[in-house]
Amino acid sequence: MTLLATGPYLTLIEADGVRHEKLRPVRLFPLTDPQHWVALVDENGREAVCIEDLSTLDASQRTLLDAALARRDFVPVIRRVIAIKRATEGHDWHVETDRGQTVFRIETDESIQSLGGTRLVIIDKAGTRYLIPDVASLDRESRRKLERYY
Amino acid sequence: MRIRRTSEGIRARKNPCPVQSSRGDSPRQTAFSQKSFSQIDFGLFRRSVSLLTLPSDLRDPAQTLLQHAESRLVPGERITARLSTDLNWSLHFHAGLIVLTNQRLLHVEEGAFHDWRLQNLDELLLEEMGPTAALHLMQGEKAVWHWRLTAGHLREVEAFIGRFKEQRGLTAEGGDLGEDDDEELFSPEAVAEPKFAGKPLLRLMGFSRPWLGLMLLGLALTVASTGASLLGPWLTMSLVDDVLIPLQSATHEINVQKVYQFAGGLLGAALLTWMLQWATTYVVARLAECVTSRMRRATYEHLQTLSLGYFSKKRTGDLISRIGNDTDDISLFISVNFIDFACDVLTIVFTAAVMFSINPVLALAALGPLPIVAWLVQWVRVRLRGGFAAASRAWSALNSVLTDTIPGVRVVKAFAQEQREIERFRQHDQQIFDTNDRVNRTWSFFEPTISFLTEFGLLVVWSVGAWAVAHEQTTVGVLTGFVLYVTKFYSRLDAMSRFVASAQRAAASAHRVFAILDVKPDMPSNKDTRKIGRLRGEIEFKDVRFRHGTRQIIRGLDLKIAPGEMIGLVGPSGAGKTTLINLVCRFFDVSEGSILVDGNDLREIDVIDYRRNLGLVLQEPYLFFGTIADNIAYGKPGATRAEIIAAARAARAHEFILKLADGYDSMVGERGQQLSGGERQRISIARALLVDPAILILDEATSSVDTETEREIQAALDHLVKGRTTIAIAHRLGTLRKADRLVVLENGVISETGTHDSLMKHSGTYARLHAAMVEVNHA
Repeated sequence: MTLLATGPYLTLIEADGVRHEKLRPVRLFPLTDPQHWVALVDENGREAVCIEDLSTLDASQRTLLDAALARRDFVPVIRRVIAIKRATEGHDWHVETDRGQTVFRIETDESIQSLGGTRLVIIDKAGTRYLIPDVASLDRESRRKLERYY
Repeated sequence: MRIRRTSEGIRARKNPCPVQSSRGDSPRQTAFSQKSFSQIDFGLFRRSVSLLTLPSDLRDPAQTLLQHAESRLVPGERITARLSTDLNWSLHFHAGLIVLTNQRLLHVEEGAFHDWRLQNLDELLLEEMGPTAALHLMQGEKAVWHWRLTAGHLREVEAFIGRFKEQRGLTAEGGDLGEDDDEELFSPEAVAEPKFAGKPLLRLMGFSRPWLGLMLLGLALTVASTGASLLGPWLTMSLVDDVLIPLQSATHEINVQKVYQFAGGLLGAALLTWMLQWATTYVVARLAECVTSRMRRATYEHLQTLSLGYFSKKRTGDLISRIGNDTDDISLFISVNFIDFACDVLTIVFTAAVMFSINPVLALAALGPLPIVAWLVQWVRVRLRGGFAAASRAWSALNSVLTDTIPGVRVVKAFAQEQREIERFRQHDQQIFDTNDRVNRTWSFFEPTISFLTEFGLLVVWSVGAWAVAHEQTTVGVLTGFVLYVTKFYSRLDAMSRFVASAQRAAASAHRVFAILDVKPDMPSNKDTRKIGRLRGEIEFKDVRFRHGTRQIIRGLDLKIAPGEMIGLVGPSGAGKTTLINLVCRFFDVSEGSILVDGNDLREIDVIDYRRNLGLVLQEPYLFFGTIADNIAYGKPGATRAEIIAAARAARAHEFILKLADGYDSMVGERGQQLSGGERQRISIARALLVDPAILILDEATSSVDTETEREIQAALDHLVKGRTTIAIAHRLGTLRKADRLVVLENGVISETGTHDSLMKHSGTYARLHAAMVEVNHA
């Protein structure tokens, strides 16, 4: 199995020579287990291959795949909650993430989802996912602000 | 089997009498023991016996009738079965008794007796007519007698007809049936007589037993803090007499030191009271939380053990309201009101004691209005009791409206019935308003009245006190102390009145919660059940009958399904297909006959263990709130991600899951709102696949989706049925053609079995159904 980068896409050549063009990587468990289970799917959403453990790939392939994933990945991790304000519909969150400070709006309480334990996912109005991997590890001030909404 | 169930049924009613033979060895036997009475009694008054003791005038007819019948027996004749009837031909209540002996059929009623020799009779015909039934005694084509009875007796009637047939056959050969020992008892989910009926608050005490230490601590703290709060007035009394009065009259030397002492003492008393009350409040609130949490859990755990039958009778909103609101009321009662009450009683007793010890005359004057208050409390208590129960019920009704219309909001909008639902809500809300308003009216009168009586009591103390001071029988300090005590005393009475209200509310709530806890599971969990582990998947129905309420749904069904065989169940709606599946899942127990899996009677194997062998795919797949991965792994919480993905692949769910933003981590809502019907169905198929069931049940799994989706689901199902015993209710031809054998069910019996092709040739019910299906598909 060989991976090639062709423009924005990946190309997969299987051991028997079958080529799969225009593939993009998709994480099966983007929130609970992003480091395992990556599928390569074609334009029509058909799965060409599914990789359980990325570390089984050799270094160059891994780099290629990681780059392709990183290009698509956008799940900011919330480091600090600066303020949560009630808006006309929902709440405005002002947070500091691993990708810098931002303000986003969530619409309903259902937009804050618990993924077992203290892992939280917050889905904003636009559908962007923000992750809090462990609520308990946030600073005291952030936790207090969060507590009022979750 | 039957005998065992019978004795259980009797135990369930707390009737210790075992079924006992009442054979008439001597035809003149008239002496009747209470034991043999209880046996007939079940026939006639089965329902009432379970709940209340019968008045004697209702018991006697059945007893006299049997005595009468026994007196008519000839030597060598003995009773083999009995049936009580409860209606006459014009459908008025009227007790009668049919007695089957080894020679004759006897009929006794008040002032009448008939008998027929068995060899002259042909059969007993049962005609069901909804709430009543008729039993026709046939001689050839001619009916020689008719009986009428209420549908509640149908089970006994059927058993009796069975005995009649057997006995008639035996009589023809000159033999006898055994003793009349298998009286049928049908045990519905009976409400057991609660131990403390009518004393729900006492039962609450039982719930707090594990926290006895905490309870005692709370009580001790209450006593201490109440005592501490009484120190203040005591100190005030001495302050006035020993410091202030001498200070004013200036006849003595001013003792500044003493002022400091008293001020310090007062501060100390206040601080002590403050700390003790703090501790008391927390300890008691914690206790309340423990008790109600235990109650909520116990109720929910109990709810999970109840059968589907219970849930089909109950409104979801009502159950939610009982577990949520009612336990909350109880918590409030224990934490806030109960402790207040204890404080109040203690304060009242303490203050009264203190007052009497200081000055009995003044004390008597101060406590003058007390009897009026006591009477008033009683009066209000009675009026509030009903009010709070009504309010709880009204809340349940409101919750029911919400749980009904919010999930059904699409239907509401589609039919533009918003206004009507608003109106429905308004009506129920009005009901809450009205009941609360009624309570408030009683209430609003009560509180000011108590205040008025307090003022009145004070007035009495002032006047009597003034007179006493004037006549030098008491001092100003004592009078001041008294006024403080009386104020405390009456403010406590006022608080106590509030306790009256909350105690009534809590009692009403506790009663509603205990009503759930007192429901006995209708499938008695047999103690000596076996674990069976993995099944091969052989299912055998042996003369299975099932009756739900008064309706007989399955009427004698025999079927043997080989391991790995796929059975397609077809038949018109109402034929009993879903019931049959419910029986296989053991959601209900068969009324008669038995279902064997791998040769084990279903009732004798551990139900949880058995259900691990089952996979169920329903017409309306139910997805729980959680991620897709969690939903797929519902039946096997420890499944690895690889297993989940494999199951999803086999169920053809993998690719659409890949298209979701969060893949397998996507949340699906209360009913999986974001997914289409076909997608949800495939997730539920993956769920069934993951548990790798030996027996698979498909309840119209493909009937609610379009043809394209059906093909996808069909492909998924093909994976699923491989190597498993499958019972599929189906309307789709695709599914039916795949079945190894089709079973056509009509009116609770099997009318045809065979493959698709053989049944088509047969041109019976299936051919007819099939023609209709083809017609619909082509239309």
